[in-house]
Amino acid sequence: MSAARLRLGFIALNDAASLIVADARGLFAAEGLEVELVREVSWATIRDKVNVGALHGAHMLAPMALATALGASGAEPVPLSASFTLNLNGPAITLSSRLSGALAPDGGADGLARLIARRRAEGASPLTLAVVFPFSSHAYLLRDWLARAGVDPDRDVRLTVAPPSRMTELLVSGVVEGFCVTEPWDSAAVAAGAGVIAARGAALWPRTPDKVFVTTEAWADAHPDALQGLLRALLKAAAWADAPENRAELAAILAQPHYVDASAAVIEASLGGMVFHAEGASAPAPIHAAWLAAQMMRWGHISADVDLAGLAQRVYRPDLYATAATALGLSAPAPLESLKGFSSAGEFRLADAHRHAAQAPLSRVAGG
Amino acid sequence: MRVLVVDPDPARAALVAEGLAGVDPLEVRHVATFDPREAQSFQPDVIVVASDSPDRDTIESLREATAANPQPVVMFVDRSEPGLAEAAVRAGVSAYVVDGLSKARVRSVLEVAMSRFQLMNQLRQDLEKAKADLASRKTVERAKALLMKERGLDEEAAYRLLRKLSMDTGRPLGAVAADLLAFAGVLKGEGP
Repeated sequence: MSAARLRLGFIALNDAASLIVADARGLFAAEGLEVELVREVSWATIRDKVNVGALHGAHMLAPMALATALGASGAEPVPLSASFTLNLNGPAITLSSRLSGALAPDGGADGLARLIARRRAEGASPLTLAVVFPFSSHAYLLRDWLARAGVDPDRDVRLTVAPPSRMTELLVSGVVEGFCVTEPWDSAAVAAGAGVIAARGAALWPRTPDKVFVTTEAWADAHPDALQGLLRALLKAAAWADAPENRAELAAILAQPHYVDASAAVIEASLGGMVFHAEGASAPAPIHAAWLAAQMMRWGHISADVDLAGLAQRVYRPDLYATAATALGLSAPAPLESLKGFSSAGEFRLADAHRHAAQAPLSRVAGG
Repeated sequence: MRVLVVDPDPARAALVAEGLAGVDPLEVRHVATFDPREAQSFQPDVIVVASDSPDRDTIESLREATAANPQPVVMFVDRSEPGLAEAAVRAGVSAYVVDGLSKARVRSVLEVAMSRFQLMNQLRQDLEKAKADLASRKTVERAKALLMKERGLDEEAAYRLLRKLSMDTGRPLGAVAADLLAFAGVLKGEGP
């Protein structure tokens, strides 16, 4: 196909690695694609630009893709297609160093729960914790972590939203007492002496789903060749980024001012647990979408009558990914059938999504 | 009029202030980064944010969270991005200003944003009330059905009984019906 210029958006985070590597190492160009990778500064702007076609594709919070497809934040629904998983295991929960006494060795929030109870008894204001966006894995991970210790995230603490790159500064100034964001911003707070990591996402949700690459469904349908070219480039980039021998170079690429713009040493240290490709990590798994959508329903952020399995299977498109993998001579992994270790309620399957949303601790779904 | 301008670019904030000259009383505060506590103490009538400000996510989430005291948001959008402004409006921004705006139009844009916001807010409140009324009516229907089944009453008598309970306790009909359903569930061994 002729090289039409494609605009792809990203936010300065480690998990944009596959997009950034494909750009920096010329993998888009090798597919005959002329790609302009645009750094955006807010998720709302990424969403708006994808919706109107000002961006052809973007790095996106998986729950934001689901919320956009449903029109959950009040806007018109725009069907999106998530054809690539950009990372697993990005997020971490970081607390201010001042609260390090509340940390539990097992990574639970029980110590924090006691602190919150004591503060309430003393009449102190509720703790403020920040996430990057209401519709994010981070918000739902933090909510689940709190709920497991009996802390109601809407009543017992104040949840707020702040840009990832500003989290350290907010901790230092005491505006927030903790946050859940994707690396390198947790490690950056630790390196600055401002924060301690209370729990890694993987400790709560093993191989935590986080960001996806999205286009609108309409664009994916109208430009199958361009999309396949993008996916092939992303697949090669993810495989390169995952190789341990490339991690130092990856950190150096991400650190550049026009990409993540943070210290290469902090980035390299914080890449440790992140997975971009290994064991089928880059294949979009509808079960991940169903899990996240079930969290959205659990907390009353989407209506209790949404067909969760149907939503997950419409937005997440392992079929588009499989075509690209096959073209590269890779065997596309069979999509995950279930998630293990995500909740004490046992294994999670597509068919369980609604029941899980209704029965999870503190569920806002009426009637059970 | 109290205007909070969130923009890394001081020139645009100055433009807003110039465009509003003559409005009395007027207080325009310019900040490069948004601080929710500062915004709360300042109590702006309208917030103006640049589309290239990282604080857009914070302001957007704040608007959803503080339904009790929401503020209209006006957004600066670069003219090189067609359609973005319309998308922002669909996502809840009250109005937008495209770069290169003359100061003569600032005042009318802000006024349109505020009146549009009030209209949308009213519509949203009406919708929420309609939803609550509908939910309450459904609860009353279910409570009526329960009474008909358990007490062998006809529909009219079941309704009269609910009305009487409501008047005796001085609580709304919907609340009495919800209690009845909840207690019936407990008696049957469901719920807490």
